[in-house]
Amino acid sequence: MGADHDEGEAEPEVSATGRRLLRLAEPYFYSAPVLLLIVGVMLIPLSVGLSYAFRDIQLLDPFSGGFVGLDHFRELAADASFSAALRHTLVWTIVTVALQFILGLVLALLLNREFPGRRLTQALVFLPWAVPTFLVGLDWAWLFNPVVGPLPSWLFALHVTRDANNLLSDPATALIGPIVAAVWWGIPFFAITALAALQSIPRDLYEAAAIDGAGVFKQFRSITLPLLAPTIIITILLRTVWVANFADLIVVMTNGGPADSSQTVASYVFTAAFRRLDFGYASAIAAVLLLLLFAYGLAILSLRRRLLHRYS
Amino acid sequence: MRRAPWLATTVLSVALASSATASAMTLKLVEVITSPERTETLRGIVKSFEDANPDVHVEIISLPWGPSFEKFATMVAAGDTPDVVEMPDTWLALYVNNGALESLEPYLKSWVHTAELNQRTLQLARVIRNTAYMLPYGFYLRALYYNKKLFAAAGIGAAPKTLDEFVATSKKISALPGKYGYCLRGGAGGVNAWMMFGALGSGSDTFFRSDGTSTFTDPGWIKGFSALADLYKSGLAPKDSVNWGYNDIVAGFYSGTCAMIDNDPDALIAISERMKPDEYGVSPWIKGAGGKSFPTIGYGGWSMFANSKHKDAAWKLIATLDGVPGNLAWNRRIGALPIYAAAATDPMYADTKFKGWFDELADPNVVPMIMPMDLRAWALFASSVVPRSSQSVLLGQLTVPEMAQQWAQIMTKAKQSQK
Amino acid sequence: MMRSALYWASHYLLLALYVLFALFPLFWLVKVALTPNELLYSEGIRLWPSRISAEHFRFVLAHSDFPLYFRNSLIVSSATAVIVALVSGACGYGLSRFVFRGKSLLVALLLITQMFPLVMLVAPMFRLLAPLGLTNSLTGLVIVYTAFNAPFATFLMQSFFDGIPRELEEAAMIDGATRFGAFLHILLPLTLPGIAATGGFVFTAAWSELLFALMLISSAQASTFPVGLLSFVSKFSVDFGQMMAAGVLALIPACLFFLFIQRYLVRGLTAGAVKG
Repeated sequence: MGADHDEGEAEPEVSATGRRLLRLAEPYFYSAPVLLLIVGVMLIPLSVGLSYAFRDIQLLDPFSGGFVGLDHFRELAADASFSAALRHTLVWTIVTVALQFILGLVLALLLNREFPGRRLTQALVFLPWAVPTFLVGLDWAWLFNPVVGPLPSWLFALHVTRDANNLLSDPATALIGPIVAAVWWGIPFFAITALAALQSIPRDLYEAAAIDGAGVFKQFRSITLPLLAPTIIITILLRTVWVANFADLIVVMTNGGPADSSQTVASYVFTAAFRRLDFGYASAIAAVLLLLLFAYGLAILSLRRRLLHRYS
Repeated sequence: MRRAPWLATTVLSVALASSATASAMTLKLVEVITSPERTETLRGIVKSFEDANPDVHVEIISLPWGPSFEKFATMVAAGDTPDVVEMPDTWLALYVNNGALESLEPYLKSWVHTAELNQRTLQLARVIRNTAYMLPYGFYLRALYYNKKLFAAAGIGAAPKTLDEFVATSKKISALPGKYGYCLRGGAGGVNAWMMFGALGSGSDTFFRSDGTSTFTDPGWIKGFSALADLYKSGLAPKDSVNWGYNDIVAGFYSGTCAMIDNDPDALIAISERMKPDEYGVSPWIKGAGGKSFPTIGYGGWSMFANSKHKDAAWKLIATLDGVPGNLAWNRRIGALPIYAAAATDPMYADTKFKGWFDELADPNVVPMIMPMDLRAWALFASSVVPRSSQSVLLGQLTVPEMAQQWAQIMTKAKQSQK
Repeated sequence: MMRSALYWASHYLLLALYVLFALFPLFWLVKVALTPNELLYSEGIRLWPSRISAEHFRFVLAHSDFPLYFRNSLIVSSATAVIVALVSGACGYGLSRFVFRGKSLLVALLLITQMFPLVMLVAPMFRLLAPLGLTNSLTGLVIVYTAFNAPFATFLMQSFFDGIPRELEEAAMIDGATRFGAFLHILLPLTLPGIAATGGFVFTAAWSELLFALMLISSAQASTFPVGLLSFVSKFSVDFGQMMAAGVLALIPACLFFLFIQRYLVRGLTAGAVKG
């Protein structure tokens, strides 16, 4: 155990430099398993996958694989579906994250008070998170289907839509379906994170403010928001990257259609890879997405550094 | 020295064990058009094969149909190949042209049942390179399903026989509140309808001119394409149908939303479970220019992989699946038209609903149309290009001649690179 | 604290709306699953069918291997959660307590793994795992899921450990405890709720994963729950009732589990005081 027991050991002592080396190596030991895993399972396949962007890889053609340089990227630049997908990705990401965040935060605020039935309510509103994403997509697709679902006729009766047709079949509204499904599924995540952060704010701050006469909104603005800001901002920004990469709901609900009107870059990767079996082109698209998100990630990191600086 | 006898015994027993297992063979069979009922039937036929061949065990892998194309492609690309696979007609060219499949000609030569197959079976089996790379299990021929109740409500007596009658019938039915004439398949799998209507306008099923260029830009084809597009644009098909796939059009039909669909005999099973026999009928597909009709004919079948290590056993499995009792049991479950000439007299096909198809087959003016599935690029064209561009046309973002031009370019290029 | 009646009224109203929004899609699944086929279309939009039937559930249970899929998912998800807790706990500890060369590189690598669509990895991963015999096996799936979840879990763990002052362990080590002993007796009890919460998140994520389970596994014996459900909802046939019944059955274990652990998720995250 400690230095005291070293005397009298039969085994040769570990030298002082040896012990220092071990101590220096310690963090590497702790990080080794995770590092090995992500390098082996994710980063190596990723590099292989990215290399496909410069080659002609048709999944079923064993003779494909020739180097084509920047051909895929040139094709991308001229691809109208891709530029449309970029626009849709912006809309999809911003709207989804904004709604998830706002509705999640409000829910967390509501749950942050004690009231009878709070435990049950909390359990029920967090339930959507437990549903596998493709089932979320199917469920909402069925809800929007005029034949087996109630939403088209209800929306029509409420005069929200002009007819009782399927939102998902109209290019102008097709993306709304996956957005609603994503918000339904994602609110619990934000709510849980925000609730945890809210509950770590000491109560006496609120009590002191109440004694000073501050109302609900004033307390929110001057206590809650500033203390919550670092956590919430980082969560939102990380979540944005995740949502941008999230293709499941779109593939399941609309397949990017009709006529590519709900295609995002992430779902386009899926379509190119698995419908066209053109892994070279799919990898090129993914490479562009990775580049964009990487730039975005760098922005997050510098923001995080500045926030930590300001609030610590 | 003292270890030697022990070692010898070990080696001997291992050798004996491995030779014992060497005679027990496992075949891998992959089914791709999967449903619980089909899997059950398949298991039954496979069991009869295993009973007749006790040293062979068959492992059945059932892929969910939705992602089966990409799932199977991924398996094959990684070397996880089966001995026998269920091969849809639209996939055949892809796998043949990549050298994945074994020619079945030598086996067919010596098979006792080859002579009993009807003429179409071998014709379709040999559609690529005039070599049988698969043995069909049944045929899918388009016909017209119509809703008798809706027809009666709109005052229509009989099913339409020509394109003009079809449009007129659709107009009358669409006049009923909340009802539509045609269940259009605007999403996946809609290529058949586009080809059928195009051929109706052109009066012929020739896809390529003698110089290898595509006929899609001919005025006749464009007229046919436009007829289909106009059905949607004038509101004779439900607005949602721009995105409809197989499930949606069949559901649309038996929920009474739209009165007519073009479909194969296998839809009969789903429809007969949900509609009473007097509520619907099946009629030969409509005729167009020149009094001819061109329903598409497709097929599913069994293929053997070229890298199979047990080719003879694999053939025996295919022969059992497609043998007379096996094939009949299979088609009874899946509802396709039989491959055996004699099967037409089987009680299942004597059912009045199948009459529509046998009428078609007997009519000289009905020409079952084989789509150019032998082209390597067809699978991609049918599954990706057609839905996207046809949806653009239906939504008014693209004109029919523009779409025809795009399609013709792709087809001509595909044909020429095939040479 | 005195709050007006208006405050509480709007409070409850909003909550009621949230509960309604969260539960309605699940209610609809159950409703259609219980509607017999003849009434499915004529009563498509009613809130509750005039006659309920268990025919769809009976069919699904008779024709599928749901117990087998359930067992496979349970094995894979539990193993993943446990292994992730271990390796990410270690890595998070290293990131929290040490400054070492390459630390920012490690963090950058962890972040990169969150930034691309995983679908890109399918083909290369298949090629890498197939010769190792790890395709078509639950072990291979556990390895893949562990790698996918480790980065996020590591960041969570790091923030939990960051919340406990270093002085506590250092005091223990001065008194003669090893670093590991300090971790075990001091750090672990304080962060256990957080670790359990992370395990819960990982379990749920592994339970629902579909793409890699579908692509890496072909035999029915090793299929997980989402794959089994997918076979049911994308089979070659038209049956909304059956599909929704399969969906309901797939949801029951996931929902029950989540209902149980969600309380600990919040508590665990709070105890760790998720700081930026």
